[in-house]
Amino acid sequence: MPRDKSDRRGAKSEGRGPRRRGMGRRKVCRFCADKAMLIDYKDARGLGNFLSERGKIIPGRITGTCARHQRQLTVAIKQARTVALLPYTSAYP
Amino acid sequence: MADRRYETLVLIHPDQGEPGAKELATRIRTLVEEQGGAVTQVQEWGLRDLAHTIGKQRRAFYILFEYRVASKGLDEIQRTLKLMDPVLRFVSVRRPEGAPPAPPRPAKREREREDAEFERGEFEGLGEGEV
Repeated sequence: MPRDKSDRRGAKSEGRGPRRRGMGRRKVCRFCADKAMLIDYKDARGLGNFLSERGKIIPGRITGTCARHQRQLTVAIKQARTVALLPYTSAYP
Repeated sequence: MADRRYETLVLIHPDQGEPGAKELATRIRTLVEEQGGAVTQVQEWGLRDLAHTIGKQRRAFYILFEYRVASKGLDEIQRTLKLMDPVLRFVSVRRPEGAPPAPPRPAKREREREDAEFERGEFEGLGEGEV
């Protein structure tokens, strides 16, 4: 839990890492980590991971997706919605 | 002329039936070719459930076309598709030159199983958000 870096920077307040509120690992953009992973509007299953239960697009700050890939992702999700591969919302009559 | 790579996914009204959808596929293919396009791939995904209704329909035949045309040709293709009544909707996307061709869809049986899994496990999202 405590991060090792915290000891190095003079003991400011408690021994937490610099500028990093809360704990938990740093999230890495999945698309940067795995170059083979392509963003494709036809891949409803893959894109579904970036939707909330309601079908809303999850912000990159939560999924860890970098800005560049998040932009590509939102476009792909919207294209997929157009052709009904993904829902606009879950609550549907 | 500078032909570009495109891909179009077309949704066809379910009342057309399988043969009707197939016929439309060839019609659209000739449409692309009339516009000076070279069709590199046609994928028929068959009748699929829609994620939301379109024109009161819950299902549609999906057909994917990959081709190269000049952008003028694409304009004409899109215009004609809009006028085709059995076409519920379509999306055209420019594909980068080096992109691999769309991988074939898994066989139907396998796909249904995967889709069922998807449906169940699907939208739990990535909840663990630390904001």
